[in-house]
Amino acid sequence: MSKIMTVDVLSSIKGAQPSEAVNKLFEVIKNANTTNNNAFNNHNNALSLNDLREDLVVDSSEIEKQIIIENFPKEKNGYLVVSKVIEE
Amino acid sequence: MSSQIHHIHQQLMNKEITCTSLVQEKLDGLKQNTNNTVNTLLDTMALDLAAKVDAKIANGETIGLLEGIPFGIKDVYMLQGTYTTASSDLLKNYKSAYTATAIQKLLDAGAIPLVKENCDSFGHGSSSENTIFGAVKNAINPDLVGGGSSGGSAVNVAKDYTVFSIGGDTGGSVRQPAGYNNVYGLKPTYGRISRYGLMAYASSTDCVGPIAKSIEDIRIVLNVMSGKDIKDQTSYACAEISQEAISSSETIKTVGYFKNFIETDAIDTKIKSDFLETIEKIKAKGIQVKALDFFESETLVSTYYTLAMAETASNLSRLDGTNYGNRIESDNLKETYAVTRSENFSEETKRRIVGGNQVLSQGFSDEIYLKGLALRDNISENFENDFNEVDIIISPVTPSTPPKIGDSLKNPHAMYLSDAYTVGFSLGQLPTLTIPQGTTTGLQITAAKHNDELVLKFANFLKDTI
Repeated sequence: MSKIMTVDVLSSIKGAQPSEAVNKLFEVIKNANTTNNNAFNNHNNALSLNDLREDLVVDSSEIEKQIIIENFPKEKNGYLVVSKVIEE
Repeated sequence: MSSQIHHIHQQLMNKEITCTSLVQEKLDGLKQNTNNTVNTLLDTMALDLAAKVDAKIANGETIGLLEGIPFGIKDVYMLQGTYTTASSDLLKNYKSAYTATAIQKLLDAGAIPLVKENCDSFGHGSSSENTIFGAVKNAINPDLVGGGSSGGSAVNVAKDYTVFSIGGDTGGSVRQPAGYNNVYGLKPTYGRISRYGLMAYASSTDCVGPIAKSIEDIRIVLNVMSGKDIKDQTSYACAEISQEAISSSETIKTVGYFKNFIETDAIDTKIKSDFLETIEKIKAKGIQVKALDFFESETLVSTYYTLAMAETASNLSRLDGTNYGNRIESDNLKETYAVTRSENFSEETKRRIVGGNQVLSQGFSDEIYLKGLALRDNISENFENDFNEVDIIISPVTPSTPPKIGDSLKNPHAMYLSDAYTVGFSLGQLPTLTIPQGTTTGLQITAAKHNDELVLKFANFLKDTI
């Protein structure tokens, strides 16, 4: 299998092509000057590991389960139907 | 305008109106409106809740300040049992299985949800035209766009169909429609309000934001929704903002503005002259005003969109029609994914997903995505330095007046550039409020991170000053 994947495959969108409007934005980034190019200095979004929630299983309510099943796209004889599995 | 929440609360307590009649009146307004603000009307739920409030009042019980106050919800928030479509074909029949934390807090306080509001699909847009429910029409001039992406929410508040509405702001989606429709709209500090149950667009800048007709109503609703939530690890605990704390602006000595926002040909001449006039009025009150250097608009917009597209490509990859959504069956699993997504996503959403996958792929990520992250760091550092110099930064909300319906869809790049004044504050995760004063599309007031109180304080000062 080829290692090169096109954006339509990456995006699961048929016939998708890079757009001119978006490429214009990327050109600006390519040509911009930064005072550092090291993204690992990023200090905006790190979270403390000391403040994580407990890793507990919480059972959903009955109504929540019922709506989740209701949202499922296809049902047959009481089973939820998914598409054929990839054969490759 | 003074607080509608306090006013309605008094009317309910004094039995001048019933909650049922109030809710019915608002529902009638929403039902008949021609601005395309409604995706789903929650009439049965709202009237049931109103009857309970009336029963409580009839029994002589006291009610909370938000109890019985009707509000609207942008159609990207989960509210158990209601349709949550994100204005998209893919989710047009999707029902929320659970309720967003911010919305749950409002329900717990007794506020009554009336409507799921029209918006740009998945928040992808600045005009609320990218929707399957018809373009949202501006509250002041229906030939113009309502702004976006929280256009339906801002128009509903402006037209008094809701007392307040809850929008979502990733790059300006609360502040810009608030400006276009002459109401208040707040993007709080990132993390002040839990994002749990808000459909993710760009997780690192997504914010829950209230839209209302007064600073006091923004304060009340902000207080109720704020605080740490274990379901959103980026949320944080914060103190309530009191009415007294924002009544005096004595602590504000210095205000800054970005000179490159103003000294450009891209800004409408009237917006520019009105903004400069506002600066003079602030100076006349003895406040020092400093002109600050900032990044070029193109750099801000490109940095924001690069990161937002990368994040939305990742966030929306789950929408494949397997467990929920409008699945379109094809030959095999991969084809089913591709056909479902191709047929159900709008052109703008597809453009953003594709752009995001472009920058995240090998060969592009170093040159564009990682550089975008580095630029974001530079922008944040710039803000940190600025807030050592000034207490508040003010800026116009938009460079131009609202476009005509139909124009934004023709030129996506121009639409991206119209976000030039809002996206920087999103990247900096700073609290920023749009006020319906100062220019035709309002003014933004920004303070340092976590200083939402100072923003409201300065808004109160400007209300009496300009």
